[in-house]
Amino acid sequence: MASGKKQITQLAHKLYKLSFADGRLSEERVAGVLAYVEKHPPAKPVAVLRAYNRLIAVEVAKGEAVIEHSGPVSDATLQAIAATMTSRYQRPVVASAKPNPALLAGLRIRVGDDVYESSVSGQLSSLAASV
Amino acid sequence: MLSLPVLAEVTGQVAEATTVHAESVNPVTEFANNFGVNLPAVIGQIINFCIVAYVLWRFAFKPVLATLDERQKKIADGLRYAEETKARLDSAQQESAETLKKAQVEAAAIIEQARKASKELAERETTAATARAGELISKAQQAIELEKQKMLAEARTEIARLVIATTQRVLSKELNDADRTRYNEAAARELTSV
Repeated sequence: MASGKKQITQLAHKLYKLSFADGRLSEERVAGVLAYVEKHPPAKPVAVLRAYNRLIAVEVAKGEAVIEHSGPVSDATLQAIAATMTSRYQRPVVASAKPNPALLAGLRIRVGDDVYESSVSGQLSSLAASV
Repeated sequence: MLSLPVLAEVTGQVAEATTVHAESVNPVTEFANNFGVNLPAVIGQIINFCIVAYVLWRFAFKPVLATLDERQKKIADGLRYAEETKARLDSAQQESAETLKKAQVEAAAIIEQARKASKELAERETTAATARAGELISKAQQAIELEKQKMLAEARTEIARLVIATTQRVLSKELNDADRTRYNEAAARELTSV
C-alpha cells in the first residue's frame, strides 16, 4: 500500500517536472502531459492526476499573490505588491484583489502557503491572544 | 559420783595408812582400835561399794544418761528444727514480702509505662491530625487560589473578547473609505518593506 502510494507520488513528480519550460510552468506542457496521461493511462490514473493537480495548484499559487483587503486599494498598490513578491520569490507573481470586510482595514497577502498580514482585524486578534 | 580411778586412789591411800599403822602405832590407830574399827572389813566394804557403783554406773546410770542425752538431743534438734522452721518461715515471709513489693514496683512501672505510651500515642495522633488538617487546609487554599486564577483568566479573556468585539463593531461602523484607504496604503508599505 505504501509502495503504491510512493509510486503514485514519484510519477506525479515526474509529470510535474515535465510541465516546466525554461524554468516556468507552461500551459502547453501541462496540456501535453494531460493528453499523454489520457492516451497512456498509468495504474490508478485518478490518484496520479490528483497528486499532479495538487503539485500544479501549489506552483500556480506560488505565482499569484491573493490580496485580501477591506476598503479601496489602488492599482498602484497592487502593482507595488506584485513587484515586491516577484523580487522576493524570484519568479513572476501576479497580484489579484479579493475584498474581505472582516479585515476592517488593511491587507492580507497570500502567496502559496505564505501569508503576510497587516490589518486591524489581525492586530485585534493578536491583542486578544496576548491578554 | 566417784569414778574408778578415784576409788583406786582412795583404796591405795587406805592400804598405805594401814601399812603405816602396822609399822607404828599412832594416835589414829589407837583411836580406831578403841572404837572397834576393823580395817579389812572397811576395805572389803569399800571394794564392794566400788563394784556395786561400777555395776550401777555401767548398767543403770549409763543407759539412763544415754537415754537422757538422746532425748535432750532430740529436744535440742526439735528446738533447732523449730527455730530453723521459724527462720525459714520468716525468710519465706520476708521473701514473699519482697516479691510482693517487687511485683508492686513492677506493676507500678508497667502502669507508668502504659500511661506514658498512651500519652505519646495521643500526642502522635494529635500531631498527625494537626498535620493532616494543615495539609487539607493548604490543599484547599491552593485549590481556591487556582480557582481564583482560573476565574480571573476566564474573566480577562471574556473581557478582552467583549472589548475586541465591541471595537470591531465600532470600527466597522466608524471607519470610512478614506480611513481604510490610508490604512491600506500604510499596510502595503509595511508589507513591501519587509
